[in-house]
Amino acid sequence: MPRNSLLLTWGLCAGALLCAAPARAQVDSVRASTLPGRQLAEKAYNAGLANYSAQNYSAALASFNQALAAKPDFAPAYANRAATRLALKDYPAAVADYDQALKLEPGAYAHYFGRAQAHEAAGEGPAAAADYGAALQANTAYAPAWYNRGVLRFEQGEYQAARDDFDGAVKADPNYAYAYHDRASANLELANWPAAVQDYTKALALQPTLLPALLNRAAAERRTGQLPAALRDYDTYLTQKTDNALAFTNRGNARFENKDYAGALADFDRAIALDAKYAYAWNNRAAVELKLEHYAKAAADATEALRLNPKYAEAYLNRGHAREMLRQADEACQDWHQAAALGLAVGNDYAAAAGCSGDAAEVPAGK
Amino acid sequence: MIRAFTRAALLLSGLATAAHAQSVEFSKERFGGDKDALKNAQRELKAGEDAYAADPANYGAALPHFLQAQQLNPDNAALNARIGDCYLHSGTKALALPYLQRAQALAPADDSRTHYLLARALHLNAKWAEAIKEYQRATPMGGGKRAADGALTVTADDLARRLRECRNGQELQQHPVRVFVDNAGPEVNSTFSDYGPVVSADEATLLFTSRRPGGPNAKKDPDGDSYYEDIYQTAWQGKRWRPAASLGAPVDTEGHDATVALAPDGQRLLVYDDENGGDLNESNLKGAAWGKPQHLGNRVNTRYHESSASYSPDGRYLYFVSDKPEGGRGGRDIYKIELEGKGPAENLGAAINTPYGEEGVFMMPDGRTMYFSSEGHNSMGGYDIFKSTLTNGQWSAPENLGWPINTPDDDVFFVTSASGRHGYYSSDRPGGQGGKDIYRVTFLGPEKAPVLSEESQLLASRLAPVAQTLLSPPVAVATARVTILKGTVTDDATHQPLEATIDLVDNKLNQVIATFHSNATSGKYLVSLPSGTNYGIVVRQDGYLFHSENFDLPAEAAYAEVIKDVPLKKLEVGVVIVLNNIFFDTGKAILRPESTAELERLQKLLTEQPTLRLEMAGHTDNVGKPAANQDLSQRRAQAVVAYLTQHGVAAARLAAAGYGDTKPVAPNTTKAGRQLNRRTEFKVTGK
Repeated sequence: MPRNSLLLTWGLCAGALLCAAPARAQVDSVRASTLPGRQLAEKAYNAGLANYSAQNYSAALASFNQALAAKPDFAPAYANRAATRLALKDYPAAVADYDQALKLEPGAYAHYFGRAQAHEAAGEGPAAAADYGAALQANTAYAPAWYNRGVLRFEQGEYQAARDDFDGAVKADPNYAYAYHDRASANLELANWPAAVQDYTKALALQPTLLPALLNRAAAERRTGQLPAALRDYDTYLTQKTDNALAFTNRGNARFENKDYAGALADFDRAIALDAKYAYAWNNRAAVELKLEHYAKAAADATEALRLNPKYAEAYLNRGHAREMLRQADEACQDWHQAAALGLAVGNDYAAAAGCSGDAAEVPAGK
Repeated sequence: MIRAFTRAALLLSGLATAAHAQSVEFSKERFGGDKDALKNAQRELKAGEDAYAADPANYGAALPHFLQAQQLNPDNAALNARIGDCYLHSGTKALALPYLQRAQALAPADDSRTHYLLARALHLNAKWAEAIKEYQRATPMGGGKRAADGALTVTADDLARRLRECRNGQELQQHPVRVFVDNAGPEVNSTFSDYGPVVSADEATLLFTSRRPGGPNAKKDPDGDSYYEDIYQTAWQGKRWRPAASLGAPVDTEGHDATVALAPDGQRLLVYDDENGGDLNESNLKGAAWGKPQHLGNRVNTRYHESSASYSPDGRYLYFVSDKPEGGRGGRDIYKIELEGKGPAENLGAAINTPYGEEGVFMMPDGRTMYFSSEGHNSMGGYDIFKSTLTNGQWSAPENLGWPINTPDDDVFFVTSASGRHGYYSSDRPGGQGGKDIYRVTFLGPEKAPVLSEESQLLASRLAPVAQTLLSPPVAVATARVTILKGTVTDDATHQPLEATIDLVDNKLNQVIATFHSNATSGKYLVSLPSGTNYGIVVRQDGYLFHSENFDLPAEAAYAEVIKDVPLKKLEVGVVIVLNNIFFDTGKAILRPESTAELERLQKLLTEQPTLRLEMAGHTDNVGKPAANQDLSQRRAQAVVAYLTQHGVAAARLAAAGYGDTKPVAPNTTKAGRQLNRRTEFKVTGK
């Protein structure tokens, strides 16, 4: 990830989840041998860095503690201890250390960025977003802050704001593949599908190993009616990665849209073989069995999807369709009603159209 | 006769010899010296040929003999052609095809008649493309009078129409409608032909015509293999039909008696007889017995052929089919007439009636949807069943019900339940009990789209996929716009069923728009309430206080079935009657105009019972402050009293009481309960 090299002067990776823009311990280590005096704080600080690099976080923590005991106003030591505590998942302590670092070095965008990551890891989204914002106020050219805030906003469903942040990220760093990818995803959610296709393509050009971009570009292409292109992308992905039940399921969906029901069935079979607990594959196979008029199989597959996820509204809906064709009218009605109760209101429409009991229109009040 | 046989035999053998060597003659050589077999074959041929060559040809009588002869010699081209021709003139026309194809294979012919008959048989078997080719090879022709002379008249228009039908069939078969078609089962169908189903609005009662033996007047029909038509009745028992039984006298007679229509409440039956060119008669259900059918009179029946018919839901109008030339548009047409009126029948016009035949009219209980059969419009052959809806006085363009409900042959006499979810018709499709059978069609509506799910890893820096459900758009829900109100009228004290009069009142117009009766034996009643009217329903019987119900149905109200049993109360001191058709402005004590009919009923009651004394009582739900509720209910009771005194009722006979929310009749915790609690009622305080 290109972003990591930019942060090498500052941070240590705080964990896989945050590797897109990790916190790093400072590495502008003080050359103690050339400095006068005992330099106890500086020595401990450097030992802390070495331990951190060796992922020996407990030892690193002890070293940074020593450094700060010797020199209580040592801002870099606070920042690096914060990064260590983040690695140890002690988020409140990490936030407290970043607070201290900011007191000693007000306006330092790296400290805001680190604290934002600590808040984010603690599940404190608003605080994290605020700190990413503060980091950007201090340094608008810092692409990871744009990107990380964009991710937070995306996860909140604020796709327009997320897209604006990913815009900021690619302006700050025109080679930021993740930012292009995620801007594409924001466009996908905003139904701006041609722009999504364009950004996924750019992300793939910058980072050909970013395989999920193939799946996501296919999804965008399907929405623009470019089914052949979508199917090519799925095929490309699946030649490189053959163990992904999700990818087989999604290609199955595309084949279903292409009315290639036999092909879709084969993909859902494969997805189930790879991951028999993947409820989506069972549900979608039920859907294709419906199209193939294999109603008993459709009902059985939907039932398995419901065993895996008892609150799966779509599976109830599909099983209702299958049961209607199996002449199990009462059971079909129950399934459609259950789908509606779980959020698919169309279930009630189907029940009403089929004359399910309890679906007669309420007779309006007379007065 | 001998001469006829000789000619027929010569015809057959001559054709065989001249046309194609593969065709096998009825000769000694063929039968290998088996004189008896040859004699039998010749006897069957003669009998068949006599009927076939008669004027007019009797195809039905000829066919069994020809089939018998064909069993003895399957490879005679002319005989196979004869059988094909007979089938084309039967109720099972599609069976003609293998015989005509065999005849053509044994002795290929290139004349127009052969191509046309083959085209007809292919058409009737839904072999559209092949039929089109054969029709295109045929040319217009005019034939002799008798079948044996090749009687067949086909005009250029006929050929063009058949081609159109085939193309319609091709188109319609590509988009089959989703239905279940279920045989009504052995309780209904027999090994003989059963057809002409008519059903009550709630599908509780089914009547149909049958040609089975077993009826009290069952006699063999000399024109065929079956018995005279009789009418049978059955009732739905929850999972299946009760074994059907003949209606018996006086409906079933020694002649043909056929079902035509059943009123939505199942209390009136239209019956066809073949007198006077074909007339319609009405029988009424009295208790458990159907009365003697009464001629519908000369405004409906003419010296021409009146066949199918259907009541409007209020029973005021009759839609019927007649081939009378006056006012017709060609062939049989559909007409509408006000039964109690004086005006002539009105042709439904060009939107419905075509230059070809229309038959089998059925008006749904919603009062706006009509099913009928037509040889015109975009029929795929013979009569097809169509649907049209009446909106603002205009019939919509008829919609072909489509394949597989419609077939290339005649599809007629289709009726539906009030909900429109089920239809009933007869068909001779394979797998039945024998002859034509009655089938129930369940409309499944457009295909219900399956729903697929998927998820994507939308954020490059996150591992967790994001779920994305791919939803299909919602389906349109088309249901009939009618409410079926049914139940049982009883004596409140004895619980015995009562035959009561049920008035259907349009509250807005203050008019009785229809009157029905509950059944004398069972007390059961059924009323169809097409959406779009504020209905007052008044159940009355001499010696009892009237009972009123209200159904204010907006135009878009979908199908509903409501069961409401009505216990009628005798006029006794202390009896309380709820006046469901008295309406006030919201929160006020101002009587709305829609209350007039109910108030007039009350006034009439007081006039007819001069010693009657009533307390008018107002009640509210528990919404709002109790004092305000009490005040409102008091003022509303007084408003009713004021109306009555202003219309001549002595004030001394009336009292007004407001009870506010103190006497609920249902929990106030639901909307329906609160609705029941907001009421105006009267109590008999003296008589």
